[in-house]
Amino acid sequence: MRLDIVYRLHFTYAEPVSESQNEIRVRPRDEPRQQVLSYRLTTTPATRVLQTRDYFGTTVDHLGIRGPHDDLLVAAEASVETSPAGSVPAPVSCERLGDQQFVNQHVEYLAPSQHVHWGELVDEVASWAVRGAADDVSERVLAVAQAVPTVLAYERGSTSIGVTLEELIDGGRGVCQDFAHLAVGMLRCIGIPARYVSGYLFALDETRLDEAPVPGAPSAGGGAAGGAAVADGSSHGLVGEDVFAPERAPAASPTAISVQTHAWIEAAVPGYGWHALDPTNGGSVSERHVVIGYGRDYNDVPPVRGVFNGTSDAKVDAEVIIAQPTAPVSMVTEPIRRQARMSVGPSMDTSAQQQAAQQQQQ
Amino acid sequence: MAELQRSDADQLAYDEAFDRDGNVRPLYAAIVERFSNFDAAELRRREGIIEEEFRRQGITFTVYGDSQGTERTWPMDLFPRLIAATEWQEIERGLAQRVTALNRFLADIYTGEGAAMADGVVPAWLVHSSDGFERNAFGVSVPHDAHCVIAGIDLVRDAEGQYRVLEDNLRNPSGISYVIENRAAMTRAFPRVWEDHTVEPVGQYGRMLRTALESVAPTGAGDKPLIVILTPGIYNSAYFEHAFLAREMGVELVEGPDLVVDEHVVYLRTIEGLVPVDVIYRRIDDTFLDPVSFRPDSTLGVPGLLGAMRAGTVTVCNAVGNGVADDKAIHPYVTDLIRYYLGEEPILPNVETHVMWEPDQREAAFERLDELVIKPVGESGGYGIVIGRNATDEELANARAEIEADPRNWVVQEVVELSTLASMCDDVLEPRHLDLRPFVITGERTQVFPGGLTRVAMRKGSLIVNSSQGGGSKDTWVLAPQGETPAGT
Repeated sequence: MRLDIVYRLHFTYAEPVSESQNEIRVRPRDEPRQQVLSYRLTTTPATRVLQTRDYFGTTVDHLGIRGPHDDLLVAAEASVETSPAGSVPAPVSCERLGDQQFVNQHVEYLAPSQHVHWGELVDEVASWAVRGAADDVSERVLAVAQAVPTVLAYERGSTSIGVTLEELIDGGRGVCQDFAHLAVGMLRCIGIPARYVSGYLFALDETRLDEAPVPGAPSAGGGAAGGAAVADGSSHGLVGEDVFAPERAPAASPTAISVQTHAWIEAAVPGYGWHALDPTNGGSVSERHVVIGYGRDYNDVPPVRGVFNGTSDAKVDAEVIIAQPTAPVSMVTEPIRRQARMSVGPSMDTSAQQQAAQQQQQ
Repeated sequence: MAELQRSDADQLAYDEAFDRDGNVRPLYAAIVERFSNFDAAELRRREGIIEEEFRRQGITFTVYGDSQGTERTWPMDLFPRLIAATEWQEIERGLAQRVTALNRFLADIYTGEGAAMADGVVPAWLVHSSDGFERNAFGVSVPHDAHCVIAGIDLVRDAEGQYRVLEDNLRNPSGISYVIENRAAMTRAFPRVWEDHTVEPVGQYGRMLRTALESVAPTGAGDKPLIVILTPGIYNSAYFEHAFLAREMGVELVEGPDLVVDEHVVYLRTIEGLVPVDVIYRRIDDTFLDPVSFRPDSTLGVPGLLGAMRAGTVTVCNAVGNGVADDKAIHPYVTDLIRYYLGEEPILPNVETHVMWEPDQREAAFERLDELVIKPVGESGGYGIVIGRNATDEELANARAEIEADPRNWVVQEVVELSTLASMCDDVLEPRHLDLRPFVITGERTQVFPGGLTRVAMRKGSLIVNSSQGGGSKDTWVLAPQGETPAGT
């Protein structure tokens, strides 16, 4: 299936800011079942974009604007040819999960990571999810993916990045990152290696579009208390780590297809490899899922991560649209209002603590 | 006459100055004789000179974990540590060999094929589960593969006098400034001591380091690359050293906000405008380097720095991600890495280390934990170490439980009876345990700085020499090749 995507980020500031620096991860990944036909990223004002590939193989566009600006537009255009999902893994006993070589090979995807820590509660939920499953790894993986929507109700804007898995379960609500994180945590805690996938989802109209991912609030981890203040009294505001802005096209035609950034998961099945599942949408991953990249959790593949220098409020409009001229275009715009971090001078405490924390007495 | 106490006859440790029969070793003959001519009052007077020298210059050290946050004057013991020329040559070769292999390992991990892991020399999972394994360092190449421009390798001498490697410090080893200041203080307190010895000088460190840093500048930096030292700031315990090195090398000492990135080039803000920076000798931890790619709350780093590194417009030293190679869990594999990359036998053996994720080694260690040293792999500065023979049953049981819960993060080492040397304790020169941290500099080639920092445990019988735990230091003399007999200055 040929899919054409435009991902547009528009940063606007009430007052001019300077020295913005960003890492953008929105280019679809080259994969056997996903061929990238073209990709182009442009900015206004123009700046030199450095394209690199990170440890996980995700393409990163590094860009920054040093001079004062109150406006920055980033537009990424991609064309992708996708194929239908591959075969379902053959049954394989869970005993194989304990194979030392298998464990060693997937050590990064079995351990807790920044957004995926688990305790008794997750353990309980995971055991409950697989209680009726046969001794078959892929059946358990599916059972976990299907259990997540019974634990969490999809609710736009219900959470922000930085919420723990325990808080998620307690709250009972979440967005697609949360569904993915919870599934990854449940799988890891029962010994199944799992990773987080960031990508795009082309949804048919009949798909429940309110299942779409939503804009997140500022991450707790980078909250104001730990804001990126600098010693000269200026500040680096954190622009969204999670600029998702999908929303149903208003009054779209009955055949409308929309696209949104999305998150799902992959689990490692012995003798098979990585098996993709979409916990938010009931399990299966199709040719309408376009992979950007994967990692241990969200933090390894955020669509945009950046800082700027200034005291202004930042407004970020992110939109993903279908570029296919013949197809009905679903245009979504979701303004995200957020405070620039640390609009006052830096707390001496933070700075002093960080300096001291650099112990360096190796 | 001051009394130089010999070691107890039943002491297991190697005494640097006296043989087992209590005779002065030839290496120390002249210095022991000189000290024998000083009475206690004279030694105290000279001790005062040393202390005053450090206090006057504000050379202090922060002792962490102390509720007072105590700043102490740098403690230097007045009796020097001597290393014979031939002995030093061996150490030098061993250290250069080791650091060369460690740099190859880092290049293999971050910009190479991962050959050592593929060939089973080091388990890949151990690398991937290391806290020091920094995924952001992937694909960032370093000229000459000098991932570790400055290494501090901790050596101890066992009961037979054999030097062994206790730990590698490949991130931000501190202490070189104290080596140089110790020499200055020694000269002030004992101006005539050089009459009896020809000692390798230590004053050339700044030049040596600067040359190495210049040699790792990116291509296109020109003949006069701009080098800066990036410090976290005045609250850092090693700030003195950062300032000292900037002065010794004649380079700018900067903090994060003094630098700015524009289109993937790092610039220094000056009153004349922006000046491109070629090499950053950073003394801040990896995760604080760039709030875009690492900790978003870092106030100490430079936004966009990682992009500039990836663009190859700036070299950051030591490179990002070196912590994977000085992970204490990797240490037991370093001798094999030397054989693997260099095809040579290791010159300096490791302190024998048992890895707790191997069930056989773990069970064997549990049989005799009370004879071993238990170390958490993630700590430095001597924190968290349990010395089996000094531990209570409860402490040992706790250690065992912690190892069982997380075997990846513990190693267990054989006790090394660290060598001893006379040190001034309450008017008497008594034997105290010590180690040695030489500094190894890599630019175009790998060189070892003569001597290093000798650290001494000032409490009788103690094996913990870390400065952050109240240890002292000694001026360390590498004697010039003919210097074992008095040759004047």
